[in-house]
Amino acid sequence: MKIIVCIKQVPGTNEVKTDPVTNTIIRENIPAILNPFDAYAIEEAVRIKERRGAFIYGISMGIPAAREVLREALALGIDKGILMTDRKFAGADTLATAYTLSKGIERIGDFDLIICGRQATDGDTAQVGPSLARTLNITCATDISRIIEIKNKEMHCLKITDDGYEEILVKLPALITVVKEINMPRLPSIKGMKLARRAEIDIVRFDDIKADENRTGLKGSPTRVRKVFVPVHQVETSMIEGTLEEKAQKLSELLLSMGMEVK
Amino acid sequence: MDGIDIIKDKCVGCKACFVACPYGAIEFVEKKAVITDKCTLCGACKESCRFSAIVSEMDYRQGSDLSRYEGMWVFAEQRYGKLKPVSLELLGKARELAARLNAKVTSVLFGYNIGFLARDLIAYGADQVLMMDEEWLGDFNDRIYGELITNLVKEHKPEIVLVGATSKGRSLAPYISSSLKTGLTADCTGLSIDDEGLLVQTRPAFGGNLMAEIVCPHNRPQMATVRPKVFKPLEPDYEKRGIITRIQKEPIEGLVKLIRNIDNAEGQSLTDAEIIVSVGRGIGSAANIRLAGELADALGGVLASSRPLVDMGWMPYSRQVGQTGKTVAPRIYIACGISGAIQHLAGLADIDTIIAINQDPEAPIFKVANYGIVADVKEFLPLLTEKIKQAKKA
Amino acid sequence: MDGDFKQVYGEYLRDESRQVGWAESIAFPRTEAEIISNLKEMSRKKIPVTSQGARTGLAASAVPYGGYIINLSKMNKVTGARYDEKEDRFFLTLQPGVLLSDLRKYIANKSFDVTGWDIESLHALKFMEKGKWFYSTDPTESSASMGGIASCNASGARSYKYGSARDHITGLRVVLADGDVLALKRGKCLASGDEFSLITEKGREIKGRLPKYKMPDVRKNTSGYYNKPGMDMIDLFIGSDGTLGIISEIEIELSKTSPVNWGITIFMPDEDKALDLVRALRREIKVAGIDLNLNPSAVEFFSHKALKLLRERQKTSAFSNIQELKDTYHTAIYVEIECSLDDEAWKEVEKLGDVINALGGDEGETWLAYNSVNLEKLHDFRHACPECVNLQIDIIKKSNPGITKLGTDMSVPDDKLKDVMIMYNEGIEENKLDGVIFGHIGNNHLHVNIIPRNMDEYEKGKDLFLLWAEKVAAMGGAVSAEHGVGKLKVPFLKKMYSEEEINEMRRLKKIFDPAQILNRGTIFEYVEGQ
Repeated sequence: MKIIVCIKQVPGTNEVKTDPVTNTIIRENIPAILNPFDAYAIEEAVRIKERRGAFIYGISMGIPAAREVLREALALGIDKGILMTDRKFAGADTLATAYTLSKGIERIGDFDLIICGRQATDGDTAQVGPSLARTLNITCATDISRIIEIKNKEMHCLKITDDGYEEILVKLPALITVVKEINMPRLPSIKGMKLARRAEIDIVRFDDIKADENRTGLKGSPTRVRKVFVPVHQVETSMIEGTLEEKAQKLSELLLSMGMEVK
Repeated sequence: MDGIDIIKDKCVGCKACFVACPYGAIEFVEKKAVITDKCTLCGACKESCRFSAIVSEMDYRQGSDLSRYEGMWVFAEQRYGKLKPVSLELLGKARELAARLNAKVTSVLFGYNIGFLARDLIAYGADQVLMMDEEWLGDFNDRIYGELITNLVKEHKPEIVLVGATSKGRSLAPYISSSLKTGLTADCTGLSIDDEGLLVQTRPAFGGNLMAEIVCPHNRPQMATVRPKVFKPLEPDYEKRGIITRIQKEPIEGLVKLIRNIDNAEGQSLTDAEIIVSVGRGIGSAANIRLAGELADALGGVLASSRPLVDMGWMPYSRQVGQTGKTVAPRIYIACGISGAIQHLAGLADIDTIIAINQDPEAPIFKVANYGIVADVKEFLPLLTEKIKQAKKA
Repeated sequence: MDGDFKQVYGEYLRDESRQVGWAESIAFPRTEAEIISNLKEMSRKKIPVTSQGARTGLAASAVPYGGYIINLSKMNKVTGARYDEKEDRFFLTLQPGVLLSDLRKYIANKSFDVTGWDIESLHALKFMEKGKWFYSTDPTESSASMGGIASCNASGARSYKYGSARDHITGLRVVLADGDVLALKRGKCLASGDEFSLITEKGREIKGRLPKYKMPDVRKNTSGYYNKPGMDMIDLFIGSDGTLGIISEIEIELSKTSPVNWGITIFMPDEDKALDLVRALRREIKVAGIDLNLNPSAVEFFSHKALKLLRERQKTSAFSNIQELKDTYHTAIYVEIECSLDDEAWKEVEKLGDVINALGGDEGETWLAYNSVNLEKLHDFRHACPECVNLQIDIIKKSNPGITKLGTDMSVPDDKLKDVMIMYNEGIEENKLDGVIFGHIGNNHLHVNIIPRNMDEYEKGKDLFLLWAEKVAAMGGAVSAEHGVGKLKVPFLKKMYSEEEINEMRRLKKIFDPAQILNRGTIFEYVEGQ
C-alpha cells in the first residue's frame, strides 16, 4: 500500500506575548516543531504499515529548515522524506499550498491514501486537506477519528462531527484528515533517529515540478493578509480584592445578585 | 527577496520588524534589517515598520472582470429538516453587508423534504432561496453538495459566499473554493466591507495574540467560513417577501457513503448555556477539574474548557471553547485559571458578564473580564462553591 | 484549642504529610524584624514555635503540636542580586517564602519586582542574560518555599548532576530563638577541626564542639544535622528542619543553562539489565568496550510494577496523553542530558543505543525527546507515576479512610544499588504487599511506594519501612534522602544513629536553642530539659 503523509513545520509555541508598550508581539527564540496534528497523521500511517505493510512518503512544503521535521517523521517510521522548497512557493495561502503539494504528489505517482493532520497550529484553517483532495480530484473525508478497516478499493472509518460520529465508507484513493482522538503518537526511538540521520531527503524545487508559476506562492494566493494587529480591548475591569475568604464572599454575592436561579 | 524587501536607506535599525516577525526571519547586519529565508511573506513586518522601510511587491494580476459578480450567498445547512442556527446568524450578517453593497442576499438550501425551510430563510434575511429537494440530497455529502454549489456559483456569479464553520461547512467550503480557484478564509471572527467594496475578513492569526485582516482582491467569489455564535441572527420577519426557486439537476455520484449516524446524547449544550464555568491550565490537574464542576452545578451552569486541557485529554473536545472549539454566548462566563490567549477569547461572543479568576495578575484574560480576582483557582473555587451553597440555603 | 482558630486557620495545622496538629496562634511576619520580635516574645513566654513555609513537606516538620506558628509565606520577595563578573557567577538573595515555581518564572522571564533593591543588585541584574541561568535544585513539588527547601536540604531528579539545596546556597540569615541573628556566608565560617565559633549580629559568640557521628557517604542525605570536621557552619543550618533557628534570608547561586536539553526513556527487558544500564551510565562498568560519556543530569527509574500500574491507568482519560506502554516494556530508565552542541549529544546518544543493545535491550524500545515539546511529554510521563499512586490511594481511602500513601525516601552508596533493590523486592514479595518502585536511581535514591489495600497491610508496610531503615543504615545509607526527618521519620533516624549520637544532635541544638522552643519533636523527640 502506498501512503503519503503531508507534514508541516510550525513555530513552537502558541504563547506569543505582546509588548504592552510597543503593541507588537514579543517573539523569542521559539524553535520550530512538527505540527502536532501531523504527528497523529504520521502515527496512523506507521500503524497501517505495521499492520499490513505500506510504503510511506512524507511530503512537506516549507523553508529548507523544514527538513528537520521530515527527519523526525523518518525516525518515527516513514520511508521517504520529500521537501518542496523554493522561493516561488513562499507566501502561499491554502489554495496555493494545495496546488504545490498536488504537483509534488503527482511526481510521486500512484498512491492509495493521503493522510493529513486536521489543521496546522500556526494557521488553524483546516483547509489544505480538503483543498488538496479537490485539486487531485480524489475522495475527501475529514475529521477521521478511527480507521476501522482498509479493504481493496475502500476504507471503513469513523468520522467525528458536531452531532457525534458518522460511520462512513471512503472510496480509495482518498485523502483523510485525522483528529487527535485517532491515536497516541509515539516518540522517535534511538534506533529510528540513527536511521533518520543517515537518510537522504529529496529536495524538490519549482523547476522539478511542471507547475504554473501563477498558481504557486504569493502569486498563486487569492487571499492576502492586509494587516496584522494587536486587538485592543475596551473593558472596564473591576478587580475584587481582599483575603481569599473575602473575595469568595463578594463574588458569591455578586453572582447571586445577578439572578442565579437556584436548582 | 521576492515579495518583501527592506529599503536600506529608510531602515533605522529600530528592530520593530524583528519583534513583529512570528517566524524569526529578520536579522540585523550592520544595524540594518535583513530578511532571511525563514520568511513566509506573511507581511507582519511591513505592518510594524513606522519608517516605511519595508515594501512588498504584491503581484497585481488582472483577474477576470470582477464587476460581473454580485450578490451575497449564504449556504443554509440543515440536518434532517432542522436548520443549523449558524446559517441564520450568517443571513443576518449577510443582510448587513449586502446593504453596504446594495446587493441581494441569496440562501442556498439542499436536502430532502425540506421545502418548508425556505420560508424561515426568507424570514431571517434571505431575498432569494435557491433550493434543491431530492432524495439523493437527503444526507450531506461534501462532493455532491460542493459540485452543485460550484456549478450554481459559476452560473449566478455571487460576489461573496458565506458558509457556517461547522464540521460539514469546513469540508464543503474548501471543496467549492478550490474548484473555483478562489480565496477562502476560515473561522472569521469579523466581516466588513471596506471603502473599495472588498470583504474584509478578520480572524486570529499566527498562533498568537494577534488578529489578521484578510482580503481576496482579485478572485471571486470571496469566501469565508464563520463559527456558530459569532454573529447574532436578525429577528425573523415572516411578513417579508422573497423568491423561492426550486432547481433540478442530474444526480451526482458521491465518493463517501454514510453507513450510519452515531449521534451524541442530548445534554445541556455549551452553545445554549446561560452560565458557563470554564477551566484552563490553572486548574493544575485533571483531578481538580471537579472543583469547577461543583461550582457549575451549584450555579446551575455548564462546565467548559480551554484548549490545553482538551489537548492533554483531561476534557473532551465537545467542551472546548475557543477559535477551534465552540463559540459561546452565555449571560455569565466564569474563566477559571484561563490565561486568555486570543484563540480562547475568539470563542467568547457577546457575553454580558465575564468573570476571570487567575493566579497571574498580568494574565490577558483580565483585560476582557468585567470582574477579576487574582487567586489560585484550586483554593478559591471550593471556597466560592461553599459560599454559594450556603447563601442558597439561607 | 480555640475552635475559631481551627476554623479560620485550619489549613495551617497540616502539611503534605497529611498529619494534623494543633496550635494557639499564628503569625505571618513580613520582615526579619517581625520574626525577631515574635521569637523574642515566644522565648520569653517559653512557648514552643513551629516555623512553616509553603507546607508542602512530607515529613510533618511544619505540623505544629501546640504553641505558636510562624508562617513565612508573606515574606515572598526576591530582594537582591549579585554578579561575580570575574568568575561569571550569578546569585540571588531572597526571602524564605518565595515559592520555587515563582522563582523559576522570575528567572526564566528575567522579570523581578525590584522595588527596594539596592544599586548593586540593580546593577547586577543588568548583567543577567535572559535564558542563561536557572536554579538547579528541583524537588518535584514546585510549590515548595525556598525556606522549606533550605530547611530540609531538598533535591530532585537533577541532584545527580547538580547536588542538593546546600550545594547552591551561599548565604543564610538565621534568626535564633532569643531574637539574635546569625549572618552566615559560605566560606567565611569554617569549623576548625571539630570546634566551631560563630558571632551573632549582636556580637555574642556561640561556640561548641561538633558531634562525633559520621554522615553516610551518599550524595543525597537529609537525615539529621550535617556534620563533618572542618565543615562550613552554614551547612549545619541547611537541612536542620527549622530546629536551630528561623531562616529569614537565603542567598542562592544559579547555574548556567545548556543549549541542548534532551530526555530519553529506555525500556529494558528486565530489572537486572536496567540496573546494569544505570551502572554503565555512571561509568561504573564499560559495556562492550564502549566508553559512554553521556554525563547525564538525571537518571531515573520505573519498576515493572510501576509501569504496569501506569498501563492500567492509561485506559482512563487522566493519563491519555502519556505515550503507549507496550506490553514488552518491562522496566524503564529515564535519562536527561545537557550539553552545548547537538552533534555532541547525537554522538553520545548513538553510543547509548549500542550499549543498550549490548546489554540485551533494544534501542528501538526507547523514547527520545530532542526538543522541548517532546521533552515535556517525557516529563508528563515521569510525573504520571506518582500521580497514579496517589489516585490509587484515593480510591482505597474511600473504603479505608485511615490509609495514607506509604513511601520511602532512602538512599545508599553506589556499590549497594543491586543489594538494596533485592532488599526492596524481597520485602514487598514476602509480605505480599502491592508496591511500586521509582525514583532517582542515579543517586541510588528510590521511592518505594506501598499501596495498602487494608489497614493490616498498612501496618505491615510501616513495619517493613522501619526494618528497611535499619538495613539501609547498615549499608551506610541515609534514611531520609530528600524529604527531611521531620517528625515522621524520627524512628528511622534512630536506626541510623545510636542513642548517643542522637543525643549529640540534641546537645548541638541546645547550643542554639537552649529552651528548645523551635520545632519540637522534629529530628528527635522532645525531652524536657535534655
